[in-house]
Amino acid sequence: MRAAVLLGIIALALGGCAAQMVSIRKVPDQTPAADNAAAAANAAAFAEAAAAESGNDSAQEAREAHEAHDVREAPPILTPADAPPMYTYDPWERLNRFTYRFNARFDEAIFLPVADTYRRAPRPIRAGVHNFFGNLTEVDSIINYTLQWRLKYGLRSLERLAINSTIGIGGLFDVATKLKLPGTPTGFATTLAKWGMHPGPYLVIPLLGPSTLRDGVGYLADYGVGYGINIANLYRGNVSWGLLVVNGTDQRANIDFRYYSGGSPFEYETIRFLYVRRRLIEDEGLHTKEPVKKSEDEIPAGK
Amino acid sequence: MRMKSARLKLIPFALILAATAAFAAQLDETPPSQPVSGSEPISGSAAVSGSTVGLSDSAGLRATVFGTPPQDMASLPAKVPLSEINIELPWRLPLPKILWFDSKLRVWLSAQDRPAPLAIVISGTGSDGNTKTISVLRAALYGAGYHVLTMPSPTFPGFIVSASRTGVAGDLMQDGSDLYAAMQEIIAHLPRKVRVTDIDVLGYSLGGANAAIVKSIDATEHKLKIHRVVMINPPVSLFSSVGRLDRLFAATIGPGDRAVELLYRRLYAQIANLYRASDRLELDENFLYSAAAVTLKTDAEFSAAIAMTFRLQLVDMFFIGDLYAKTGVITDPAHPPKVGDSLEDIQRDLRAKPFADYFTRVFAPYYLMRRPDATSASLIAANRLDIITDTLRDDGDYYAQTSSNDLIINRRELSWLQDTLGSRIIVYDHGGHLGEVGDRQQVADMLDMLSGRWPRNAP
Repeated sequence: MRAAVLLGIIALALGGCAAQMVSIRKVPDQTPAADNAAAAANAAAFAEAAAAESGNDSAQEAREAHEAHDVREAPPILTPADAPPMYTYDPWERLNRFTYRFNARFDEAIFLPVADTYRRAPRPIRAGVHNFFGNLTEVDSIINYTLQWRLKYGLRSLERLAINSTIGIGGLFDVATKLKLPGTPTGFATTLAKWGMHPGPYLVIPLLGPSTLRDGVGYLADYGVGYGINIANLYRGNVSWGLLVVNGTDQRANIDFRYYSGGSPFEYETIRFLYVRRRLIEDEGLHTKEPVKKSEDEIPAGK
Repeated sequence: MRMKSARLKLIPFALILAATAAFAAQLDETPPSQPVSGSEPISGSAAVSGSTVGLSDSAGLRATVFGTPPQDMASLPAKVPLSEINIELPWRLPLPKILWFDSKLRVWLSAQDRPAPLAIVISGTGSDGNTKTISVLRAALYGAGYHVLTMPSPTFPGFIVSASRTGVAGDLMQDGSDLYAAMQEIIAHLPRKVRVTDIDVLGYSLGGANAAIVKSIDATEHKLKIHRVVMINPPVSLFSSVGRLDRLFAATIGPGDRAVELLYRRLYAQIANLYRASDRLELDENFLYSAAAVTLKTDAEFSAAIAMTFRLQLVDMFFIGDLYAKTGVITDPAHPPKVGDSLEDIQRDLRAKPFADYFTRVFAPYYLMRRPDATSASLIAANRLDIITDTLRDDGDYYAQTSSNDLIINRRELSWLQDTLGSRIIVYDHGGHLGEVGDRQQVADMLDMLSGRWPRNAP
């Protein structure tokens, strides 16, 4: 019954709600003064870093300098020939495009309006919600950092979980970040990447958006971990659906993305290109100790 | 129970595609006519000659790419409220199915809670009404007490589809008239509590020329009673040398899509190397900005970034123009692409096409058919700011701000602007194209111009 009502609302929203001629939508306030201060700080930090490395013209030299005072083994330098081609492996393109359109419509009709309403809640409440869900992900991060054998980060996640669950009152306050332990969540997708798995075919996941087969499997596994551990019966109890919705809303409200905001007919291509390149570069970062595989011109990126 | 981040936050990654498009996103319709002898050659770069970068010098190119340094920014308000207005315009042409998402025009409003003058800001070539440059102007204007309405360029795909009466963008008068009509609809539908005491129009880059044309149209139609206009880094001639940025592209990137691919590979390798050498866990916006600062160093690299950004901004306009005009250059008018078809090959083809192709194969055929007396030469002449020379000279409510090293104009065009506007133009010695927007002096001058306190030393 509840499902039927929900379906009805979704159908109404997708079908008709966008039909009026003029609509006005409040978006988050801009904060130009703070943005500029942040940009200045970023520029200053960068200038400092650049000054510290001054004298090193090439990336090679910069890397050697890096090595000199860092035990971390340096990766071989990538050359343009190592870059993946511009084509992206997308064997399920027709289905993906359909899902992408569905996601765009769903976002416009339901996800965004809900997120907009949510944004009207007082900031401390939203921060509490965000911190609460963020704290729950630490469990998964600890497991995956361990699987990735990046114990330094795993330990940091463990510390964060311990501090925020106690002093932070069940995760509502992110005390750990204030203690210089910033959150850096990871997941099974990254673990698979670390183990050497390629991203595989591009995949647009309903509601979640751009992904790849590997990353999609990673999300499922992350969910499975949560479900398996089932902290405080949050994942299998009566409230789990409600929590899932709140979590989704919180995530959406914190992502500054609007489908088709660029008005471009090529948005699907552009997003696919950018998403996969970004993941591939992040993969390169994970494989710093292994020689880079040469990519063949004929094989599209991701394959 | 957990829904991992939708990983949608990848728009900043566009930097890789566009070689730091986020900085150069303001780049505009290029213009300028024939190279003028005596324009300074760019030092240290054989590939980039004075003829391809107008008045620009090394500092100008750098400023064009990186914008105003944060420490030079005018003081901006802590908070600016913002709403987006989506409006369906009654004259919209039949909507091609593959452009279903562009059915409404989207503009942005920052309203004061008391009666105030309205400042309308028009974006530069191919851009929407919410760019970085727009955000800075909006903040400055809102802080000075204006309601601020920001609009996309008439060359922005969302505008072409939702508000153009032709679908073929780039004609100054036609675009100005579409803009003017859209402004009237929007103002008629503003929330009641927004009380407007006066209307001024500003525009940067191509938007500057659009703003001037809109006011000149209003001068005969009187529907909005636009008071003052400020053009920021406007072009003077849109088409007479459409080849300029094409030449810049050819000189710094090379011809065809193979060259684009090479540029992409170079950037990919550079950014990946920087990322691997860093301790960052996530490839985020801050990282990309820093990477851009390291990656782009020479004039040739700045020029490549500018040319690439500009080219990418034209791809959509070219595609849509061809689709509406049925000129068959990109897509077969008998079998246009359907929703769900892959457009990758089309996008690839378009990236390799110079802007001159848009003029000769889509724009000119379309307008020549509809304007029996027109010739290619007359179309080019009709797309110069000097079609309203007398108005610009005689009406004291037109103002301009530009830079002596702006790559989109040459010396002769700068002189023409100075001769025509007299004391109503200020020429900065820095900034290149839009790299001075937001700095203390630019903002102070802009506000004085808008409020009629310019020139300051006048009695």
